[in-house]
Amino acid sequence: MAPRETKFKCLMCGHEYAGMYDPQNVTERTCPNCRSSSVRRMSESKGGEE
Amino acid sequence: MTYSEVEAVAGFVGNFHVTIRQKARYVDPNQCTGCAECAKVCPVALPDEYQQGFSSRKAIYIPFPQAVPSAYVLDMNHCLGNFPLACGKCAEVCEKKCINYDDQDKLVNIEVGVIIAATGMDVYDPTEYDEYGYTRYENVITSMEFERLICAGGPTEGHFIRPSDSKIPKSIGFIQCVGSRSRDGRGNPYCSNICCMNTVKDTLLLCDHYPGVQANVFYMDIRAFGKGFEDLFMRSKEEGVKYIRGIPGEVVENPQSKNLVLTVENTTTGKLEKHELEMLVLAQGVIPRQDNDVVRKLLTLSTTSDGFVMESHPKLKPVDAPTKGIFIAGCVESPKDVKDSVTQAGAAAARASILLNAGKTKVEAITSQVDGERCNFCGLCSQVCPYNAIMSADRKTKKLPVIIQAACAGCGACAAECPQDAILMRHFRDEQIMAQVEAILEKDPHNQLVTFACNWCSYAGGDNAGTARLQYPTTCRLIRTMCSGRVDQKFIFHAFKLGAPMVLVSGCHFSDCHYISAVQWTQKRMDRIWSKMDRLGIRADRLILEWISAAEGQKFARVMRQLEEKLKSVTKAEIEHTMKALSEEEAKGKAKKPKKAAEVEV
Repeated sequence: MAPRETKFKCLMCGHEYAGMYDPQNVTERTCPNCRSSSVRRMSESKGGEE
Repeated sequence: MTYSEVEAVAGFVGNFHVTIRQKARYVDPNQCTGCAECAKVCPVALPDEYQQGFSSRKAIYIPFPQAVPSAYVLDMNHCLGNFPLACGKCAEVCEKKCINYDDQDKLVNIEVGVIIAATGMDVYDPTEYDEYGYTRYENVITSMEFERLICAGGPTEGHFIRPSDSKIPKSIGFIQCVGSRSRDGRGNPYCSNICCMNTVKDTLLLCDHYPGVQANVFYMDIRAFGKGFEDLFMRSKEEGVKYIRGIPGEVVENPQSKNLVLTVENTTTGKLEKHELEMLVLAQGVIPRQDNDVVRKLLTLSTTSDGFVMESHPKLKPVDAPTKGIFIAGCVESPKDVKDSVTQAGAAAARASILLNAGKTKVEAITSQVDGERCNFCGLCSQVCPYNAIMSADRKTKKLPVIIQAACAGCGACAAECPQDAILMRHFRDEQIMAQVEAILEKDPHNQLVTFACNWCSYAGGDNAGTARLQYPTTCRLIRTMCSGRVDQKFIFHAFKLGAPMVLVSGCHFSDCHYISAVQWTQKRMDRIWSKMDRLGIRADRLILEWISAAEGQKFARVMRQLEEKLKSVTKAEIEHTMKALSEEEAKGKAKKPKKAAEVEV
């Protein structure tokens, strides 16, 4: 699967942002708002949480 | 073996099987005397890569004068063609008849006990620093090009001349940190280590070859640490080299004289200065080799965020790779000079010889084992293993996966991912961890923060917080696993089922992972668990993931304080709903037949 843009949501502060997601090479996620690593990938196809 | 590439590496410490592609060189190196008659008649002229394109080579050539063996090689990509033969002049003049147009690549298999990776580095291409005019102005060159021009064996036989008019320049500028210590999105954020002293050496060479030449060095900081380096720097200053603290913002060429005018803010005086120089040298930084990723995959290595190969431990095992039996030396690990590379190579050779001389190795006490009764041959465990330590199962022949104990490092990612619970981790068995969860939640579960912490980073981060006497809430209850990759989703749901309001999973930062890429599985698994929590009507933010390093005691304490606040927001009704939902889910799961391999999400 190719890298694609997807939405992320921080579970610590609730901040949502868009970023690239590569299923073959998962990288460390950091919330740009609060620096937490508890960042969840949201489903891009359903528009909701995966 | 020269002119060869490693194609594949299989096996484990003491038993590596390496497949090497020995490229066809079309010249028999045992017969070739290096007489150069073939090159004289070759009609193809190409830029000489070794001389940085300042001179040309032929299609049949010796890559560089010190090449071993000192025999010619035919560059078939640029030869006029041998099928059908289009030229053939080289073969005609070769007295030894050592040119063979039908030569083929050969695959050679060898068995080795240990491997040392010393694949080196590349240099940064400064073309994206457009303000320096490297692609526009002939007299702007890189430090690598400087090396060739000043070298007696170079294209100008050591005469340092301007490319525009072949005259010896009277004034030369050096711009430091090109592609290094950059935070503006161009280049790399790290210091390339060698450029400062390389420039100091270059200025001394210039002063030695051309007394009276004016050399100006534009720099941020001169990093002259190391034995004798400060003396060398001072000598350069005494020779009259000007060191100007400031990086030029613009370089403009005078179209008539081809001189270069640099605009720079001298941060020592605070003044804007203009310097007209006849030639400019860009001290380009170093970067990981472009094929580092290939090496990484071949040897199951991990890389840091800057792309260099990561060592097993920066202080205690600086030349060991995380995979047993593999060692690293030189710039594959980080930018370094010749002395450090030689030191590291010596250390790697010594470490390797310890293993080879012993003839045997100790295996980890904490390794995985397969429960043949439960395994359904899905093969997921072998895909998960960062060390390729699991020989895959075969559903057709009912062959169970085999865990190579010598290669297993004990991260436990396979045990956590196995949908059949068919992998058992010695000393970190499911029952042992579940028992810890139960013990934590035995009393007053609604006020306990169940925290899974990896042995190497987060657990040590907690220790760091403790030894620094940092305050954090007493609700925190730690369960140590070797890696966050070991944290099975059933541990988390078991905690929620027993009434835990919050669960924290913490591990190493990706670049610090002691198990190559096991943390990637933690991240993937957490995404799946959060989705499942949604389906069950459990708030996803009751499960938190944090990467905390051993040095981040402050962060550990801060996260605990934040989670204490979050914990208060979880109501008793919510906890009861969670416990009920999970009990129902468990009952459904027991009624359902086990998942088949095809249904397993990778």
